[in-house]
Amino acid sequence: MYDLIIVGAGPGGYVAAERAGARGLRVLLIEQRKLGGVCLNEGCIPSKTLLNSAKLYYYAVHGTAYGVHASGVSFDWAAAQARKEEVMKTLRNGIAGLMKKNKVEVLYGAARLAGPRAVTVDGKTYEARAVILATGSAPARPPIPGIDLPGVVDSTGILSLERLPKRLVVIGGGVIGCEFACCFGSLGVPVTVIEMMPEICPQIDAELARTLRAELAKKNITFHVGAKVLEITPDAVRFEQGGKVEQIERDIVLVSTGRVPNVQGLGLEEARVEFDRRGIKVDDRCATNQPGLFAIGDCTGRSWLAHTASRMGEVVVNNLTGREDRMRWHAIPAVVYTNPEVASVGLSETDAAARGLPVKIVKWPLTANGRFLAEHAGERGLAKLVLHAETGVLLGAHVVGGACSEMIFGCAALIEMEARVRDLEEIVFPHPTASEAMRDAVFTLH
Amino acid sequence: MAIPIIMPRQGQSVESCILVQWLVKPGDSVSEGQPVANIETDKATFEVPAPASGTVLELFFSEGADIPVLTNIGAIGSPGEDVAALRPGGATAPPAASASPTPEPEQTAQVAPSSGSPSATPSLQQGTPVGVSPRARKAAEKAGIDPTSLAGSGPNGRVIERDIVAAAAGRPPMTVAARAAGPIPAGAWPAQGTGVGGRVTTSDRLAAKEAPAQISRAMEKPAATVRELPVKGIRKIIAERMRQSLSTTAQLTLHARADITVLQAFRARAKAKGEAFGFPKVTINDLVCFAAVRALKKHPALNAHFLGDRILEFESVHLGVAVDTPRGLMVPVVQDADRLSLAELSAAIRERADACQSGSINPDLLVGGTFTVTNLGALGIDYFTPVLNAPEVAILGVGGISLQPARRADGSTAFVETLAFSLTIDHQAVDGAPAARFLQDLVTAVEHIDILLAADSQKA
Repeated sequence: MYDLIIVGAGPGGYVAAERAGARGLRVLLIEQRKLGGVCLNEGCIPSKTLLNSAKLYYYAVHGTAYGVHASGVSFDWAAAQARKEEVMKTLRNGIAGLMKKNKVEVLYGAARLAGPRAVTVDGKTYEARAVILATGSAPARPPIPGIDLPGVVDSTGILSLERLPKRLVVIGGGVIGCEFACCFGSLGVPVTVIEMMPEICPQIDAELARTLRAELAKKNITFHVGAKVLEITPDAVRFEQGGKVEQIERDIVLVSTGRVPNVQGLGLEEARVEFDRRGIKVDDRCATNQPGLFAIGDCTGRSWLAHTASRMGEVVVNNLTGREDRMRWHAIPAVVYTNPEVASVGLSETDAAARGLPVKIVKWPLTANGRFLAEHAGERGLAKLVLHAETGVLLGAHVVGGACSEMIFGCAALIEMEARVRDLEEIVFPHPTASEAMRDAVFTLH
Repeated sequence: MAIPIIMPRQGQSVESCILVQWLVKPGDSVSEGQPVANIETDKATFEVPAPASGTVLELFFSEGADIPVLTNIGAIGSPGEDVAALRPGGATAPPAASASPTPEPEQTAQVAPSSGSPSATPSLQQGTPVGVSPRARKAAEKAGIDPTSLAGSGPNGRVIERDIVAAAAGRPPMTVAARAAGPIPAGAWPAQGTGVGGRVTTSDRLAAKEAPAQISRAMEKPAATVRELPVKGIRKIIAERMRQSLSTTAQLTLHARADITVLQAFRARAKAKGEAFGFPKVTINDLVCFAAVRALKKHPALNAHFLGDRILEFESVHLGVAVDTPRGLMVPVVQDADRLSLAELSAAIRERADACQSGSINPDLLVGGTFTVTNLGALGIDYFTPVLNAPEVAILGVGGISLQPARRADGSTAFVETLAFSLTIDHQAVDGAPAARFLQDLVTAVEHIDILLAADSQKA
C-alpha cells in the first residue's frame, strides 16, 4: 500500500513524486518509457538544445554587424544531435537521482486503473491512498491526405532526423511549428510555414505575433497564414490560400497542428472517470470525479505547458499533505522559444476586452532599451503591459525580443501579488537589462 | 456645572445598549427623574431618567446607536454651559454633536435632536471613529481593517491598538491591491485567500460579499447516471433566496383549518347564478387571498418587512402569489390588493399567473410584495411549512380540502369540508400569539366569506 501512485514521469509526474517523497509520502512513480516524459525526451529540452545550436550558428554567420567576420562556418547536425542526447541523459540521470534521494520507487511499464485508488502494471495491482494521472499528450494527427508518406514527421520525428532537411514545410504555425521553423531557418534551410489562422501563434498577443513573424521572416522562413493544407504528395505540399490552390516542393514536412491528451488505454471508462477527447476533467484541486484520483498536466487538456503540469502536481501533493492549495490559472507564463523569444503572462488586451475589464495598455519598444540595442543589431522587440485602468493592478505582460523568457517570471510574481503601477515604480531593475523595458513602459503613464 | 446623562448598566452581562428613542431635545427643560430616552438591551426596553433638573444642553448620540454602558449620552445643565469635557471619546476626539460613533447615513438623516448644532464636524458625519485611538487607526490602516467595525476594549469602548492586533491575528495576508481597495469590516474577512501564499486578493474581497462558493464534491457523485444541470437563471435566484430566507429568519409555522361549507356553497351558487349579476367565476384561492388581505388590514404586524435593525409595517397590502411555472417558482405581486374587490383581485391574480406561465411577466411585478400566499392544495398537500419570502415576515400556505368531523349546533356530528392553512412567520418580527390571532381571524373570515363580501361591498 502506497501513499501515492503517480502514472507518468513527465514534468507533472516526477515533480509531484519529488515533492511528495520529500514530505515523507511513500510514492510509486510509474513510467512507460523514460523519466522526464515528452518534455525532457522529445519536447522542451531537446528542442531548446537544437535551437541554441541553431542560434549560435546563425550569429556566427550573421556576425558582421557586430564586427565579427567568420568564414568557413559549418553546421554539424550529428554533433548537435549528440549534444542533445548528452543533455537529455544528464537530466534523466538528475531525475533518477532526485527520485532516489526522495525515496520514490520507480516502476517501468504501462499502467491501467484498477479502481480510483489502484493501478495494474504487467498484471500486478498496486494500491495507494491517492493516484495521480500524469500521462501527458501526443502530437495530433490531422486528417491530411498523405500524412503517412515518408518524410512527414511530427515534433518527435523531427528531433531525430538523420540529416538536415533540404527544405522544410511546417504545417501549423503554432508555438511548436514556429520553434522548429526558427531552428531550421537559422541553419539556412528554406522553411515554409502554413498556418490556417490569420496569424501565427494565435494564443499570443496579435501585435507580438506580427512582430515575431516579421523577425522570423528574416531567417529563411516564408509564412502562409490563413492557408489550408489540402494534400501532401511524395514531393510537394498543396494548400489553398485566398481561394487559390498553391503547391510547394517538399523534402521534410513537419506536422505541428497541436497535441491530444493521452487518455486511451488507461482504463478510464471502467473506473468511471469523467473525460472526453480534450482531456480528463478536473477541478481546481486537480481532482477528478473519482475520490482519491487526480489528474495533472497535458492529460487534463488544461494548458499544455510543462510548468503548469508541475504546479498542478504540487497542488495535489499540497492538498494531500495538509496544505490547502488550488490552481490559479491567471498567471501562468507562456513562452515561444524562437529567436527572438516571445514571453507572456496574464491577460492580453483581447482577453481583458472580452471580460469587460477597463484596461490601460502601456508599451515600450526594445529598440529604445540600452541592453537590447547593444546586443541585437537590426532586431526588433516590444514590451507591452496590460494594467487595470482604475486600480493600476498589473493584469498581463507580453514581450517579444531577445531572450525575454528569462524575465517573464518576474511579471508572473507581480501579477500573483496583484502589484499596482505605484508598486512597480518602486521596484529597482538592474541596468542595463532588457527587463527595464517593463519599467519604462509603466513610466509612460506619466 | 453640567451633568452627564449616562447610559446605565442593565445587568452585569450587558456591555452596550441601543438608544431607541430620545424623549427630549436640546433646549428642553427637564426635571430630575423624568424619562429622557428609551434604551433597549437584547432582552428588554428601559427608560433613562434625567440625572438632575435643568436644560438639555446636548445629545451626543443619535437614535439607533449601539452605545457601551456607562458612556455619556447627553448633558444637562444651565443654558450656555460648556459640555466639551463630557463628550465621549476623550480629549483627542473632535467634538461630537449629533453624530453617533457608528452613524449610518439613513439614521443620521432622521435624527431630530441637536440637529441645529453647528459643531458637528464633517468627518464625524462620515463615520470616522470617535472611539478609535490614533495608534489603533494607524495599525488598522496597515492591516486593512475597518476599526469602526470592532468592539473596542479601551475606556468607553474605545478601539485601541490591541483590538486591531487581536483582529488581525490569524487573518491571511493581503495583496497590496486588495488592501488598497479599502478597509474590510470585521465580519467580512474572507476566511482564506486564494492568492499566492494564501493571500487575500481583490477577487476574494468580491467573493466574500457573496455566499461562499460550493467546493466541487464532484468526486463523490455516482458516475454515469447523473444528469448535471447548471444552477442559473430562476433556479439560481430561488436557491439564493431560499437559503438566505432560512439562514436569516426565525421561521415558525402555525396550522389551522377552516370549515368551508359556506364558502363552497357560495362558490356553487356563484357559479350557477353569478353570471346574471355580472359576478365572475372565482377560485377557492381567490377567496382565501381576499380574506387574507382583509385580515391583514387588522393585523399590520404580519404585513411587514423585517430589516434587522427595524421593522417596516405597510399600510397597503401588496400580495405575492406563488406560481408554479415550468421554469420554477415565481411570485408575482398584486399591488394594493386591499383596494381591490374580489372580482378585481381574482382578475389580477389570474393575469399575473398567466404572464408567469408564458414567461411574459413584467419584472416589476415580481418585486415589492408585503405578504405572500402559496397554494399546494391542488397537489394533495394538507399542511406544509412555507418558506418566508424574506424580508416579508409572514407567508400563508393553503393546503387541500378534506372532510373533518364536526359537531353541529344541534349536537349531531357531521363531516364538513375544511381547508388547511399553514402560516409561517418570522419570529424575529412577530410572536406566536399575534400570528395565531391573525390566523384565527382569517379562518373566521373564510368560514363567513359571504358576510365578509357583503361587508366589503357595503364599504365600497
